[in-house]
Amino acid sequence: MTATPQPLGVDAGHAGVCGTQQEGCITCGDVALPLRVERVDKDRMLALCANDEGQTESVEIALVGAVAEGDELLVHAGTAIAHLSQGPRTPGCEAEEVAPI
Amino acid sequence: MKFVDEFRDPELGRVLAGEIVAEVDPNRHYKLMEVCGGHTHSIYKYGIDDLLPENVELVHGPGCPVCVMPMGRIDDGIAIAAENPEVILTCFGDMMRIPGSSQSFLEAKAEGADIRMVYSPLDALRIAKSNPERTVVFFAIGFETTAPSTALTLKRAKLEGVENFLCVCNHVTIVPPLRALLDSPDLRLDGFIGPGHVSTVVGVRPFEFIPAEYGKPLVTAGFEPLDVLQTIRMILAQLRKGEAKLENQYKRVVPYEGNPAALKVMSEVFELRPHFEWRGLGFISQSALKLSEAYADFDAELRYSVPGVRVADPKACQCGEVLKGVIKPWECKVFGTACTPEHAIGTCMVSPEGACAAYYNYGRYSREKEPAVS
Repeated sequence: MTATPQPLGVDAGHAGVCGTQQEGCITCGDVALPLRVERVDKDRMLALCANDEGQTESVEIALVGAVAEGDELLVHAGTAIAHLSQGPRTPGCEAEEVAPI
Repeated sequence: MKFVDEFRDPELGRVLAGEIVAEVDPNRHYKLMEVCGGHTHSIYKYGIDDLLPENVELVHGPGCPVCVMPMGRIDDGIAIAAENPEVILTCFGDMMRIPGSSQSFLEAKAEGADIRMVYSPLDALRIAKSNPERTVVFFAIGFETTAPSTALTLKRAKLEGVENFLCVCNHVTIVPPLRALLDSPDLRLDGFIGPGHVSTVVGVRPFEFIPAEYGKPLVTAGFEPLDVLQTIRMILAQLRKGEAKLENQYKRVVPYEGNPAALKVMSEVFELRPHFEWRGLGFISQSALKLSEAYADFDAELRYSVPGVRVADPKACQCGEVLKGVIKPWECKVFGTACTPEHAIGTCMVSPEGACAAYYNYGRYSREKEPAVS
């Protein structure tokens, strides 16, 4: 996977979907996507993040504490709302619940 | 993909479906409401409904932020864009197609209004900075998942001294409509599949009143198929044991206390509106946000005059009853005929997370389930 480097703060395209087609708008749908951090601009509280397809976008990181390259963030409307890397790594509580079945 | 593939395992799904059957009393009818439009979408995308026993009914709640937007607010947005040539109105994708009383944003754009689709409030701010001679108005919608993003952007605009960026705040809050639904005599619900990403921000605590005051279980749920199946099993297990508890299935993302930083920035930038109109639910007290006094300079509703008129839904449209879970989408008179995703009459057909669009796009045209493939 190769992500085209983009300067932070510039519209770097979007790893999410927001359109008028039937696949719809993830922002309207309250959907949040897991994205991986590629670069961090701590001064401006922005990070360049990528999805598995290599699409990148600039993400506000003010709400999720310290962020480092390689971290996974849950991103909604261009803002990270949760730090997945700080939570259970593999199906956390769900694994505990799902495992016995 | 991490955090996704693990939760789409068909074998585990089949096992969970078997466990759900074991939790169910065949002599009882269960009515569970999924609050979030994202859950509605997952349920039909993955065929979860087909895995459930006949007596477990899923009712679709008002958690699609597009679907609950009243027509009058769309008219207000169009008026700002159409009557003020300096304005660039920006909004999220699905908002473009929501019908107002006479046209949608997309149709107003076709007639010359400068209305642009953005992915995030930050994009709208970038447009403002790139067009200093224009005024960029962000038409903000969404529950508490999206509100922090708008709040952060407004805070950034204030910090950077961007004076040509305004906001029409239509952000809504999830708890008041849930209480309104629980108080509604139309509905008899047994439990709730609780909102996932909203809870990432507000936490689980705000839902404590549902088991405590109404004696109904609520389980906060993720959006993958195993998440939803497991949540249904957890609710049914509570009901079998005669319990009503608050549980969190989506612990990998949702902390009990939510995201304190997000709640803080929201409290700085927003304050509660005394009341707000919800499509299908009417006016609900303290159910929406407006900009706080400290951010009044960014409030487009204070800068521009808007019609502010309450517009009744088209008579044929039954979005209100769908949003309250009183009828299924296919019971609406215009579902799939006059009202389709291409030519929507009601909001529930516009957003893919709307119940009508989910039913239409995944072929749920009637009560009959598709026969299982042997």
